[in-house]
Amino acid sequence: MLRSSVALSILVSFLPLAALFFLGMEALGTDWGALLTDETWRDSLFTTLYVVSVSTIVSLVLGTWVARTVVNQRWRFTSTILKIPMFVPHIAAAYLFWLLFSGSNGFWGIESNERDYVTVILTYIWKETPFVFLMMIGTYEQLNRGYVETAKTLQLSPYAQFKHAEFPFLIKPLLDSTWILIAFISFAYEVPALLGVTYPKLIGVLAYERLSTGLYLEATEPYAVALIWTCFVGFGVFVSYVMTASVRRRIERGVRR
Amino acid sequence: MKKWRVLLATLMLTFVAACGNEEAVEFSDTFEAAAESAEGSTVNLYMWGGDEGINSYIDDYVAPRLEESYDVELNRVAMDTAEFVRQLSLDKKADRQVGTIDVVWINGDNFRNAKEAGLLRDGLMERVPNATLLNETAQQSDAGTPTDDLELAWGNVQFILHYDAAKVDNPPESFEELRRWTEDNPGRFTYPEVTDFTGNAFVRHLLYERYGDELNKNATVEESFWDDLKAWSPNLWKEGQTYPKTLEQLDQLYASGEVWMTMGFNERRAEAEVKEGIFPKETRALLLDHSIASTHFLAIPFNSPNPDGALVLIQELLSPEAQLVKQGPDYWGDGTSLDLTKLDANDQKAFEELGDGVTYPNSEQLLERSIPDYGPNIIDAVREEWPSVAK
Repeated sequence: MLRSSVALSILVSFLPLAALFFLGMEALGTDWGALLTDETWRDSLFTTLYVVSVSTIVSLVLGTWVARTVVNQRWRFTSTILKIPMFVPHIAAAYLFWLLFSGSNGFWGIESNERDYVTVILTYIWKETPFVFLMMIGTYEQLNRGYVETAKTLQLSPYAQFKHAEFPFLIKPLLDSTWILIAFISFAYEVPALLGVTYPKLIGVLAYERLSTGLYLEATEPYAVALIWTCFVGFGVFVSYVMTASVRRRIERGVRR
Repeated sequence: MKKWRVLLATLMLTFVAACGNEEAVEFSDTFEAAAESAEGSTVNLYMWGGDEGINSYIDDYVAPRLEESYDVELNRVAMDTAEFVRQLSLDKKADRQVGTIDVVWINGDNFRNAKEAGLLRDGLMERVPNATLLNETAQQSDAGTPTDDLELAWGNVQFILHYDAAKVDNPPESFEELRRWTEDNPGRFTYPEVTDFTGNAFVRHLLYERYGDELNKNATVEESFWDDLKAWSPNLWKEGQTYPKTLEQLDQLYASGEVWMTMGFNERRAEAEVKEGIFPKETRALLLDHSIASTHFLAIPFNSPNPDGALVLIQELLSPEAQLVKQGPDYWGDGTSLDLTKLDANDQKAFEELGDGVTYPNSEQLLERSIPDYGPNIIDAVREEWPSVAK
């Protein structure tokens, strides 16, 4: 690798730190006590946590399951079709779902713009499942079938087969996908802005609104919220990777051999 | 390796260039000199872009004229007003003396914020010749904030509701009747969130219904007002679980027939929409107890890169011809900000001949029920307290 490109990569990887620094600067002067007890922010946080966890978990399970099935059954065609949603931008996906669900009675009884954020979650699942699928399929294709065969020979239950012969290899891509999804969904704007409701808003929408409406022009709160959330995600990434470090290292060495 | 070095060098240079504090570009001394120096340049007009009629007035009518008469290219940038005010205030913080915005379309609380932060250039009256034609009352104050020569009036409008006469047999005639009408027709009426300009204005009409002028002296809204508003919400669209985020969304709901009324500043706004078949054919004006009159303005930011071009553009936008087409039914239908008595006989006649459209309200009644807007502190109060209604 060229020296300049190494330097550039290092520079780029420091950018998040710069972002943290600037967020911190802008958040100076925030009344943290008032922020943490502010009902609007709090409701928004809980709703965001709910949307993020449901969309992330369902996408992970679906994406992994589909990748597994596609590889096991050798469904080449399915794998092509599954990639289609990847090419639809989030804003377009949100609009598609809005067109589908926004009628007076919705579609299949599901309406957009309601407080359970069902259509927002559906949009994210539709968009992120293929992403998880792509992250997982490489792993599944390279998976050493020997372990699965051994598990079968030992007459383990299907669940135990998965747990011992497949799951350890999936930890790394799953962890990567999880944090990418959490970081993305939690602060995204376009999907919840189009399909969400007036109250409670998801945190990205609320922060943007507070940043861009006259009353709050001088407000530091949105920056403070972004700072807290970034630290929270960063901390989560750090802890989860440290906790799984030994397992992952063992697996990686095993795979390489 | 070499390629990388070039790339890195360019990158660094960009940063350096962005950091450098250039001198602000000043106005030329006279309008003639400004017009001359603006020749061949581009002027960037930042404005709210949520209305097709307004956009096409700028793109299809103003831009070609400007090119032809002054050889100035017009670049319209669609952006929410608060957002470019924010961008300008960041520029100010960073001491960026040469920015990107030449002319802004602004009024109300956004103007107050921009004025307080010192984001606008003054002395526009003497620099734009057509400013002498302006209606002096309209030019004086912007929703309670004195304009202080920082902006020039571009248009004059009043708040109005529109309804689909094919679906609504007995349109309400007051806000009280509107409330009762929604009880009989649940889900067929709503208004935009109050972060939206129009939604906020609708709530201010309800405030006026209860408090009248009083609120200007004593800006406290009782809790019961918000409770009443909350009690109303189950009869609104989606049972008040959510509100349209913007006026565009409300217009869309109205166009698709999901709600039967829409609203907005500008008593002539529906004409072009009906003509183009976007709004229902039977769209009619609905004038309730009172209607806020509002003036909107043009201003030049402190760091405009082409202030001479900006002057030329404003001069053109305030010309009687451009104002006449603006008020006509073809594009926008926005009321003129000019004082008709100051125009020559031909121009006056042309304005009078514009006549009425089918979606216009009765102009005498409209004038009778016109009320001045509350100041920006009421707009803020509505923004701050209304969210409890949507909970």
